[in-house]
Amino acid sequence: MAKLELSEETKAGMEEVREADLLIAVAVPVDAEQLRAAATQAILGAGKPALTALRTVVAFPGNSGVEAAVQAKTDLEPVQTDSGLRFVPYALPASSPSRIPWIPAASTYQALFGMARELGVSACAVIGLDLGALQTNFLAPMMAPVIEKRCELAMPLYALGKFDGLLNSSILAPLTRALYGRRIRFPLAPDFCFSGKMIPDLEVALQRTAAQGQSIFWPATEAAVRDCRLCQVHVDTRHMPPSDGVDLSTVLAQTVGPLFAEMATNAPLWQRVRGSQAVDTLGVAAVPPADGAAADTTPMLETFQLGFRNLQEVWALVLPPVTLLELKRLARASTGRFHLPDELWVRIVYDFALAYRLRTISRIHLLGALTPLYLGWVASYALEVGNASAAEAEQRLEKLARAYEEGKPYLLSRWRWPDRFNP
Amino acid sequence: MWTQVSQSLHESMARVISRVATLLPGILAFILAVLFFAAIAWLLAWLVRTFLNAIRIDERLARGTDAIAEWSPSYTPTTLITRVVFWCVVLVGFLVGLEAFGASSDNLISARLLGYIPNVVGAVVLLLLGNVIARFLSRSVLIGAVNMNLHYARLLSLGIKWLVLVLTAAMVLDHLSIGAAIVDLAFGILFGGIVLALALAVGLGSRDLVSRSLEREAARPGGEAMPEEQFRHF
Repeated sequence: MAKLELSEETKAGMEEVREADLLIAVAVPVDAEQLRAAATQAILGAGKPALTALRTVVAFPGNSGVEAAVQAKTDLEPVQTDSGLRFVPYALPASSPSRIPWIPAASTYQALFGMARELGVSACAVIGLDLGALQTNFLAPMMAPVIEKRCELAMPLYALGKFDGLLNSSILAPLTRALYGRRIRFPLAPDFCFSGKMIPDLEVALQRTAAQGQSIFWPATEAAVRDCRLCQVHVDTRHMPPSDGVDLSTVLAQTVGPLFAEMATNAPLWQRVRGSQAVDTLGVAAVPPADGAAADTTPMLETFQLGFRNLQEVWALVLPPVTLLELKRLARASTGRFHLPDELWVRIVYDFALAYRLRTISRIHLLGALTPLYLGWVASYALEVGNASAAEAEQRLEKLARAYEEGKPYLLSRWRWPDRFNP
Repeated sequence: MWTQVSQSLHESMARVISRVATLLPGILAFILAVLFFAAIAWLLAWLVRTFLNAIRIDERLARGTDAIAEWSPSYTPTTLITRVVFWCVVLVGFLVGLEAFGASSDNLISARLLGYIPNVVGAVVLLLLGNVIARFLSRSVLIGAVNMNLHYARLLSLGIKWLVLVLTAAMVLDHLSIGAAIVDLAFGILFGGIVLALALAVGLGSRDLVSRSLEREAARPGGEAMPEEQFRHF
């Protein structure tokens, strides 16, 4: 497969650099001055001689026709470290305006990995969402296992509150784990590090992703599929994605949809996987943020009940009668007794994944119809772990992940024989 | 007198039989033309399907855009294109059959039918498109409204569905030249009625919604987090 050609602007920016050991690839538009300060702090303030001795290049989105005021300044002065810290702007590829702005597009990763290849780096750190990773103790602990060749891909383990990252905890992480057999807690983490050895594999995977019209790239899935050495590192980074202008159903459609699409692509691989393996976990877990006031689940329960009253005809196209019957029982339950069993939730997700593959209904409608069910799960989870500690909530999520693994035979059966009678 | 009646009946019977006899070649030609073109249509559809499968059109379209699949999820692009080709050729066969029927029977019926067929075809296409669009839009509105926690989601969805269906029906009747001014008038009244009903329903429903929202906003002390913000989904 042909390698991606870098744009002229990106090549011009790289002319002075030619070679580097480490690439810090910033995948989202950021303020240039803040980036310079954060990157300097991350390299010099880490207190690791190994890191300061590396020839480091920071790639960040520069002027590329993409309108963003923060990209105006691109001529950042190099920072004096042992081997120098240089800043190179690159052309941020234009992406669909309907996309969630804070999730980097696959085309952005293509440009960044192309730069990493041209520079011949031995390791690359991708910084997504915001500069949170560079402003915290992220780079040194994440890069260490990659530079020391202990693993090829290092994924972060964020310290989240029990009501944070719920979409990841309820669908993305447990489904990825059940499918590909690796216990990765944040498969769609915006920040991650990988070795230079992985670049060709990742580039091929990205080309396939782009050719299939997918917009989201799953590095951990690729590493699991290619049997690369994976590790997870505890970090104290905390991202706060802006919720303005992006509603839950859009986020759900644009993250769960690509995961279902990946399922269809990798079906021959995951059908052979049974159970899951733990991934090496490094570092010390950071203290999760303190819980706020008691969670109010009423709006979510209302949406679930409203969904049950109005979307039964849509759900009936996707879900078997026994699931609909259980949902009916749930919709009638009072708030105190509302509990969505793990097995039921797992079957719902698997049935939606199958319907996505078979195009039982329009995919936009399908993922929209999943939102009230997801809110039902969130309400049930919140009621269950309302008084629990973060560690207990994590144990609860581990139980859910095991339910996904135990429910995999159901998925296999439905996937292989979708027309078979399913009561 | 009975002889005259009997003769008159015999003559009319002979005329009917001779008319039917003159029509028979036309009917036969019509059936033959339709059958012949149906066979050609089947052959062409098979060729088109083989060609499209060879160039993997479904995969290519799935990579580029989901538009066809979104509007017609049950059928692949190959199936859709093949069916369109098949029915187009069958339609041509039908027209050829009618022409043959007209040529052999030299009456005005076939000429009128031939002239009316484009209207019928257009009306059928409009009807099909209108139904597909009505179903898609009503489902989109229903799901969107439920996700926005709007309690009148079903009403909105039904309103949209009937708006599109009424519009389609009016266009179909207009295309068939049936009803003329009555259809226009009825459509105007119905369409206006639905819009007014929807506006009243949404307006009256929103009044409570807005007042509740304002009350919540007024009761909330500054800086306090909204309940929804206790949960971070991503």
